[in-house]
Amino acid sequence: MSENLLWVEKYRPKKVANVVGNDEAKAAFIDWFKSKRRTKKAVLLYGPPGVGKTTLVNAAANEFGFTVIEMNASDTRSEKAVRAVAAPATSFVALDTFYKESKGNILFMDEVDGIAGNEDRGGVSALLKIVENARVPVIMAANDPDLQKLRPLKKVCALVRFQQVRIPLIIATLRKICQKEGVEAEFEALEKIAQNSRGDVRSAINDLQSLAETEKTLTLQDTMILSARNKDVGMDEVLREYFSAKSLEEASLLLFRSSVEYDNFIMAVGDNLPLRYTDPVELAEAYDFVSQADMFRGRIGTEHWHLLRYFFNDLARAAAVSPQSYKPFTLISPPIRVITLFWTKGKRTTLEKICGKIGQRCHVSRQTAKEDFVPFLKVMLEKQKALPVASWLELAPEEVEFLKKMSKF
Amino acid sequence: MVVLNKKAFRLPRLEKDKFVLLMRLGLQYDRANGTFCVNSYNNIEKVIDTLGEILNDKNVGFMQSCLICGKDFPCLECRYYEICETKNLPFKCICGRCLEEGKTIGE
Amino acid sequence: MAVNEETLMWVEKYRPKNLNEVVDLKDVVESLKAFMRNPKTMPHLLFAGIPGTGKTTLALCIARELFGPNWKTFTLELNASDERGIDTVRERVKDFSRYSRAAFGNVPFALIILDESDQMTGPAQTALRRIMETSSRTSRFILICNYSGKIIEPIQSRCAVFRFSKLDPKAMVEHLKFIAEKENVTLSPEAAERIVDYAEGDLRHAINALQTAAVYKDGVIDEKTVQNVVGEVSGVKVQVMINKALSGSFIDARKKMYELMGEYGFSGSEIVRQMQRELFKMSFVTPEQKAELSNIIGEYDYRLTQGANSDIQLSALLAQFGKVGKTQGENQ
Repeated sequence: MSENLLWVEKYRPKKVANVVGNDEAKAAFIDWFKSKRRTKKAVLLYGPPGVGKTTLVNAAANEFGFTVIEMNASDTRSEKAVRAVAAPATSFVALDTFYKESKGNILFMDEVDGIAGNEDRGGVSALLKIVENARVPVIMAANDPDLQKLRPLKKVCALVRFQQVRIPLIIATLRKICQKEGVEAEFEALEKIAQNSRGDVRSAINDLQSLAETEKTLTLQDTMILSARNKDVGMDEVLREYFSAKSLEEASLLLFRSSVEYDNFIMAVGDNLPLRYTDPVELAEAYDFVSQADMFRGRIGTEHWHLLRYFFNDLARAAAVSPQSYKPFTLISPPIRVITLFWTKGKRTTLEKICGKIGQRCHVSRQTAKEDFVPFLKVMLEKQKALPVASWLELAPEEVEFLKKMSKF
Repeated sequence: MVVLNKKAFRLPRLEKDKFVLLMRLGLQYDRANGTFCVNSYNNIEKVIDTLGEILNDKNVGFMQSCLICGKDFPCLECRYYEICETKNLPFKCICGRCLEEGKTIGE
Repeated sequence: MAVNEETLMWVEKYRPKNLNEVVDLKDVVESLKAFMRNPKTMPHLLFAGIPGTGKTTLALCIARELFGPNWKTFTLELNASDERGIDTVRERVKDFSRYSRAAFGNVPFALIILDESDQMTGPAQTALRRIMETSSRTSRFILICNYSGKIIEPIQSRCAVFRFSKLDPKAMVEHLKFIAEKENVTLSPEAAERIVDYAEGDLRHAINALQTAAVYKDGVIDEKTVQNVVGEVSGVKVQVMINKALSGSFIDARKKMYELMGEYGFSGSEIVRQMQRELFKMSFVTPEQKAELSNIIGEYDYRLTQGANSDIQLSALLAQFGKVGKTQGENQ
């Protein structure tokens, strides 16, 4: 899979008109954005993930010539926040847009429902303060605005609701991308992807890429794997948010609030960690945390669920090792566990029996037989069909076959 | 099933409190023509519920307008009716014909 | 032994049966001969050293020397890893002592050979010491281990300790040549050196490699054949995995790990154990690096017992290697 260019990035609309779906919300937002006399200084965009909230903000800024200053939930009380909002419109310039001509800044805070959720009650009041003091337009986004804690915020913001993007619109979007990428896709396949996405355009485009990028064709059959993943649809979304978490709090909150299956989740994290962290030192650090989380999982077993918070804490740390090094990547999902499928109890018992026989004859333990004899025996058996040694070891024919087949894994 | 035109629809004579509620929920009233239209979509489900009470019909829906050809059509015509999570809500969409013909949303 | 001598594993076929035939262990053998002359004076023995250096062979030779052709009746062979715990060991020792009370000739005891004794936990070893004590009238123990440091002091003080070091490469080459000749196998001198190189002092490995190479190419063994055989064996694959991990190619290293688990059915602990072993053999890893890496392996060996997911623990281990590899690379 290409880790270089995600289609969600490549085809991210840069103009408001091209943001697909939620036309009504778009109109409401643009109204607010362009109005000369705003009644509310801040706007809160809310709705399910992957429907275009962030895309719209960036597209609008791009189209109208503004600079987006993005701020973290945890930055809200930092120096940066104070300066950014208290300063006049153009004096605080984000480094990466230094060279671009800008009519002014806009402050964007994504996932503000994250702030409200953690133990720190100061979070929401810090946000309110920012809105109060801001001399630039403030835009916030949230997935779940019904949190009690966000009520004070909702009073000072204009509210714009985003809904799931409808299936025909998603299909049309996927079709356009297929055209541009030279992918030949069956209509039924695009339909299936759209249906499976539950209104999340981002995940639909990711699915399209993972299914179609290499072969450049897409049949309905190819999409069948999506049905198998249906149970994990929630998991994939959580994983994406987990890996792109911008802070420890964000990651913690996500884990505590999600209802993913723990064991699958930690395996998926383990699978994808090297894609998230390409620097060996960061990878080692992150894996250390995941390893510790796994140890807690081991201690929890089936009863000590009070230890779950330590499991989550360590997982959250793994996500937050270095938020700045995040680059989008394509998830490996679902976790592939071919090995456990292959090495069934029956197979392990057979191997153990074989090792017992070797041990008997050669005066070694089963363990030594497995590590020091079986690898050689395997090679010997591959080269010669009926090895006399096998009969000396008193190996049954099926045991000989077993040893020969081992290498075919 | 009642299908309303989201751009302008009429309602039977309303009591004051129902009228105020609808305004609060996001409708707008055109005095000159005596029609309602949707102004804000944030509480659209509640709008539909309230309209259902007023019109004495459990199933109230809105016509959709096609982004590509501009025609109005009811959700009932759509092949995804059963699984659509926003059916009958007054949002822009793509009609069956345009979808089949493989048209794309403007460039 | 089997009726047809041709069909044996060569490690067994050519295992010395006689104290005099033992390869390159003259000092040890001399000391032991003194005990053999007067068995009543023989204490418990502790044989310590890396694998494949003749410990088990020597123990079996002693048994033969003491008890003659029916030595098996008077000898109990145990492996710590095969037994489920110290209690099963105690049971087996008790049962054995019961049936071998009749002494043989002037040997007033039976022999219990317990291999992998360093894999027993502290408490298990303490219990073992008591077992040794209670059965000392009727039995002598020969404990075999890789690391004598892992044997608790109370046991060490009750044993005569013999250390087995890496075998002399020349002696190993000679032994391989001897076997090759007996088996009508053509073995080039370079090939013999290659095998001994690979085996790193472990004669059992060397002989297994020899036998496999002989089968590989129908009785003609050259350097290339040895290379092929050695490349296909798990120990080398573990080395490759370690190398990739150290050089920061994590995904490749992990792929190798999955291959090992898939091809051989190795568990997490088995891979870790082999990593410890193979690391020791890797010549271009400095002693300082080996020490650091060995500690890390030890840490993750523990974590494997606590954790729920060996995939994750092993991956984390490989990742730590990547960090060491990078930071040490930067320091150089």
